[in-house]
Amino acid sequence: MAGYLGRTLVQLVATLVGIVTVAFFLMRAIPGDPALYMLGDFATEEAVAALRSRLGLDLPVYQQYLVFMERALTGDLGRSVVTGQPALAEMLSALPWSLSLAVAGLAVAVILGVPLGILSAIKQGTWVDMTIMLVALMGISFPVFWVGLVAVLFLSHHAGLFPALGAATGGGFWTQIHHLTLPALVLGLSVAAYIARLTRSAMLEVLGQDYIRVAHAMGVPEPRIFFRLALRNAFIPILAVIGVTFAWALGNAILVEVVFSRPGLGSTVLKAVLARDYQLVQAGVLVLATGVVLINATLNVLYGVIDPRMRSD
Amino acid sequence: MSASKQMTGVGTNRRRFLQLAGATGIGALLPFSLTDVRFAAAAAGQLRVRFGSDISILDPALIFQVENQTIAGHVYNGLVKYDQATNEIVPDLAKSWEVSPDGTTYSFALHGGVKWHKGYGELTAEDVKFSFERVLDETTGSRYRGQLAGLEAVEAPDATTVVFRLAQANAGFLHKVCAFNQGWIVSRKAVEEKGEAYKLDPIGTGPFVFDSWIAGNSVRLVANDDYFEGRPQLNEAIFRIIRDETAAAIALENGEIDIFFGLQQPEVLDRLEAAKGVTVLSRAASNTVNLVLNTTVKPLDDVRVRRAIIHALNRQGLIDGFFRGTKTFAHSVLTATFQEYSENVPKYDYDPEKARKLLEEAGAVGFDFEITTVALSPYDRFPVPMADDLSAVGINATIKVVERGAYVQARASGRVQSCITAVVGPPDPDSPLVTLFSTASFPPGLNTSRYDKVDDLLAAAAKELDAAKRKAIYEEIQQRTMEDVPVVPIFGERLFLAHNDNVEGLVQNSLFTVYTYPVSLKA
Repeated sequence: MAGYLGRTLVQLVATLVGIVTVAFFLMRAIPGDPALYMLGDFATEEAVAALRSRLGLDLPVYQQYLVFMERALTGDLGRSVVTGQPALAEMLSALPWSLSLAVAGLAVAVILGVPLGILSAIKQGTWVDMTIMLVALMGISFPVFWVGLVAVLFLSHHAGLFPALGAATGGGFWTQIHHLTLPALVLGLSVAAYIARLTRSAMLEVLGQDYIRVAHAMGVPEPRIFFRLALRNAFIPILAVIGVTFAWALGNAILVEVVFSRPGLGSTVLKAVLARDYQLVQAGVLVLATGVVLINATLNVLYGVIDPRMRSD
Repeated sequence: MSASKQMTGVGTNRRRFLQLAGATGIGALLPFSLTDVRFAAAAAGQLRVRFGSDISILDPALIFQVENQTIAGHVYNGLVKYDQATNEIVPDLAKSWEVSPDGTTYSFALHGGVKWHKGYGELTAEDVKFSFERVLDETTGSRYRGQLAGLEAVEAPDATTVVFRLAQANAGFLHKVCAFNQGWIVSRKAVEEKGEAYKLDPIGTGPFVFDSWIAGNSVRLVANDDYFEGRPQLNEAIFRIIRDETAAAIALENGEIDIFFGLQQPEVLDRLEAAKGVTVLSRAASNTVNLVLNTTVKPLDDVRVRRAIIHALNRQGLIDGFFRGTKTFAHSVLTATFQEYSENVPKYDYDPEKARKLLEEAGAVGFDFEITTVALSPYDRFPVPMADDLSAVGINATIKVVERGAYVQARASGRVQSCITAVVGPPDPDSPLVTLFSTASFPPGLNTSRYDKVDDLLAAAAKELDAAKRKAIYEEIQQRTMEDVPVVPIFGERLFLAHNDNVEGLVQNSLFTVYTYPVSLKA
């Protein structure tokens, strides 16, 4: 286990250095300039030159990179060009918003998607199966911002059950949860559709295998076949998708964040890219990449728990 | 027998459990739906305002964007300020002021006993001197340094007197010290103490104190009990970031916000105008949206080609059709909101026939014309009907939509053939005129036309102290620029604001901001 953790840690650091390096050069490759953004309509050549030199942008790019890496290794990711706040702190302040939405959304997705997928597989070819798959297809096809607005219109505006704004400005735990419900439902529904379809096909594949037929022939009770023999094997691809989805929800839930007026990592990175706020983008990429790598590492451990064949040592 | 009894028992239990669960479920939902959403009362005296995007920087020397300016407008004062309703320049921190007969010395008498927020002491003339010297200081990197060109010295002979010495008379000088952008007065002690952190931790003298900022979510201001013009009627103002306009409209109707700031989309406007309990305010803004033509490239260097372009564009059609009447027609880059506005300028009707003839005369039929614009709604969409109009008269028009950073860089390079540009600023006629037409604003500034024919008039207007003569010079500038058409004014911007019935006393300004000091809440 210690060896495994050590390997994971080395991989983690290597991946992060790689990703941050790519982000660093990508940001500088796209046109645009933070000095011009800051000076805007009243830019003069002298002012632009002065600000560029103050921000260290007049150095050759490789030197900027060396300076950045040197500081980054000591944990200093610099300050946002625009707000002057420490970049990492600003990104970390968006993390809880993203994390709560991702966890809640994924919980909705798993609670809805997995049972529906199983049901659909068990009732393969019946109207139950058809209905579930049709709904799942709709869930995948409808854009999440549209579903979000429709949900706001009906559940918030007409029914008055939830606030239209998916983030409270204050209030206790329950107020926050109440605000979170609608965005989590909308995010969860779109992901649940994927999970339901995947669970169904994974279940069907397993149910078609010889050992299941043998179990049927031996008279093993149906529930036992489904839940104990089939589901456990079907869970591996499902788990992989849940992991990927979680990483996706962490960074790319921008549309949900916009519709429900929530802060989050995705929108903060987007804002930083638009302002060419290099430091903030780098900090954001680092936080997101760390999240994704950690989730994948956790998943690797979970695979071992579910499937003994996958335990490597 | 016993088995069946047991079964029943289990059944009842399960049913009871479900009922209980249901009841708790509904119970859990009800209090929320009743208190939080529908009949939602925010905390007493709390006003909630929608912002379209987040704040980023509140230091007056570096400030830009309407959200930042709105917060700064609550936190800071200037020496003088624009009246919200009339745009007239009225006293603010200065009780009165005197101008020397030659127009080169301005002396302001400050109110005594004005307190800085959060215990930073009393406002003195030294703070005022510091605020302006800081903008002039190159190391500050202020984007407004050019606004104070010609300011030679700021003196503070005593605690309540500030004297500005100008190199030469500048009739528009009061605009430069008005409560907007560089005109907002900062606390010297706070700026020196806080350093970088000051950018988002402002200390002012205004009616509201900056309390907190939750990135991407909200900004909270609380009433300044010691405000020198009297405490605001509100206890606090929350500026809530809601990017999507439809979501903001629903939040307003739900009572989750009180004021919808930055209302633009015609569809959302229609919805709110029909909604019960919502009032929509509208006012002409002090800026136009323009098509800036580079007068140094062929064939745009020929005035006939530029006139052909303005004749080819169905600008009224764009306003009525695309914008559903939510914009105003523009005769020049000065809108009717300016005191110096004049309609006595060369006018260009929509006349495709004339456009074709002008192009033929200039020998420019079928030339390639590229409009560079920014990938932000509606700037990425309204050039489409414009390109159609241009194609109809035989101009091979294309539109290049680029993301904001790339757009700013392309424009600053000065190499674009034409681009869509708006100059948003205070109701100072120099704001659009100098920015668009002075040689001092050549790229990276906004004079991407490289137009150089009104420098003499702009200088003359600054020197002229007689209001009527000054107005005449500005009229001449408008006439000359519309004669030469380096810039095609496409439409005049209009501002919309919506609020619910709880809000009283709100005055919409033309500064692109919202000011809640006069607001009170019903019940």
